[in-house]
Amino acid sequence: MSRALTLSRLRDATVPWLLPAALVIGWQAAVSTGLVSNRFMPAPLDVARAGYDAALTGELWTNLGVSTLRALAGFAVGGGIGFALGLANGLSRLSETLTDTSVQMVRNVPHLSLIPLVILWFGIGEEAKLFLVALGVFFPIYANTLHGIRSVDPSLVEMGRVYGMSRAELFRRVVLPGALPSIFVGLRYALGIMWLTLIVAETISASSGLGYMAMQAREFMLVDVVVLAILIYAALGKLADTLTRALERSCLSWNPAYRSA
Amino acid sequence: MLLDAVSRDALPASAPAAPRTAPPPRPAGRGLSVTVNGLHKSFDGNPVITGLDLFLPAGSFTAIVGRSGCGKSTLLRTILGLERPSAGRVTVEAPSAASARAAPPRRIMFQEPRLLPWASVLDNVAVGLTGLGTRAERRDRAQAALAEVGLADKAGQWPATLSGGQRQRVALARALVSGPGLLALDEPLGALDALTRIGMQDLIERIWRTQGFTALLVTHDVSEAVALADRILVMEDGGVALDLRVDVPRPRRRGEPDLARLEGRILDHLLGAPQAA
Repeated sequence: MSRALTLSRLRDATVPWLLPAALVIGWQAAVSTGLVSNRFMPAPLDVARAGYDAALTGELWTNLGVSTLRALAGFAVGGGIGFALGLANGLSRLSETLTDTSVQMVRNVPHLSLIPLVILWFGIGEEAKLFLVALGVFFPIYANTLHGIRSVDPSLVEMGRVYGMSRAELFRRVVLPGALPSIFVGLRYALGIMWLTLIVAETISASSGLGYMAMQAREFMLVDVVVLAILIYAALGKLADTLTRALERSCLSWNPAYRSA
Repeated sequence: MLLDAVSRDALPASAPAAPRTAPPPRPAGRGLSVTVNGLHKSFDGNPVITGLDLFLPAGSFTAIVGRSGCGKSTLLRTILGLERPSAGRVTVEAPSAASARAAPPRRIMFQEPRLLPWASVLDNVAVGLTGLGTRAERRDRAQAALAEVGLADKAGQWPATLSGGQRQRVALARALVSGPGLLALDEPLGALDALTRIGMQDLIERIWRTQGFTALLVTHDVSEAVALADRILVMEDGGVALDLRVDVPRPRRRGEPDLARLEGRILDHLLGAPQAA
């Protein structure tokens, strides 16, 4: 019984990785046998070696650290403003009437189209990256926070009122927990946009960071480093997603849809 | 077999023993009396209640029946203060004329349980004590109220794991935990299956008899009104069309001839009303 359980758990843990593993093995085989020129596509082992070298010189860690710091700073600023404005507009009709039209107008401008303008304003300094990431992260957090608060069951709010909850209590015990599933959807969208924006911004205008590392490698035809950078993006994205999922599972354990099996 | 299933699922463990024996003496009421004078209520110019007068003595059990849209839920919500009267007044007071501040609270039980899905069963019951006592006191009293509805062992669970009848019992515990003087029941059993509903009716009657609050039940189920209430008001066109006393002694047996006769009379009135077409 418990043995069967362990086996099935083992299977659940390994099955998702079968496809990526097969891909890597096939890729290595294709390059080793000369089917694919390693000038276009370096073998996985070459990429691993490039990663090892970059890690040894410390270049990888410096760039990774710089990028992570930028991502988090931009996320904190944009996400914080988006969350606060989403709450304000969800709770106050006046605040919504005042700001929502403007927000919706700005939302329809692709934020990456502002890159030329941002370079003119901030040069290629840290502010440019922070601005772009914050702008990109703002909208999904704002829109989903607002939607979450709007979709709180009004019959629960009435119940809270009948039982004499103060406005602060009503918010803390009814409105915010009710909006949380939607806020988490916004969070996951925002994390994706955060990396995307940062990489684009670093590729175009930066003097450090992962995007810069990839662009430098292109200059010197170091295909293995370019591929390494792309793989690191994939890993970072997966990491952010895993962390959010864990957070969701602990915050939303009351919801059958989020309960772990 | 069937009865076994009912008593285990639909009734708290202590319930089957309590009725059918000599009724315990009614406690000195902490119930609130309700006085309604010339009440009018309209929504967007459509009159729903037109000039209604009513007195509910403290500790009484009154049921309001009527077709949907007759204004019975509106009357209940107005008495509870959830709607504001368009004209007239509603007074809810303790008969002993104690200070208004010390008056026991009024509570309502809705058709849906309206439990917070993100709070444990115990915390949901403790919502009924919002603003009263310390956190530890609230938890103790909530636990006691849960035991009274037979769900002591579910305290730590999420509402999503309970059955419909169990959720409604949690809602009942939440309404009762603060020791209300007036309990309004807005078709609270309408969504339950027939057997669970009978179990809940017995539970509500038993708790009403031991706690002595004033109960006001709105229902579309005439047999439910007849089984539970001392007095039945039939509402029609925004007013009281029929005001009946139910003098059948408790505990009442379901299907008793007196009750059946009364139920038939009310149904005849509701179905035979000339406005029905």
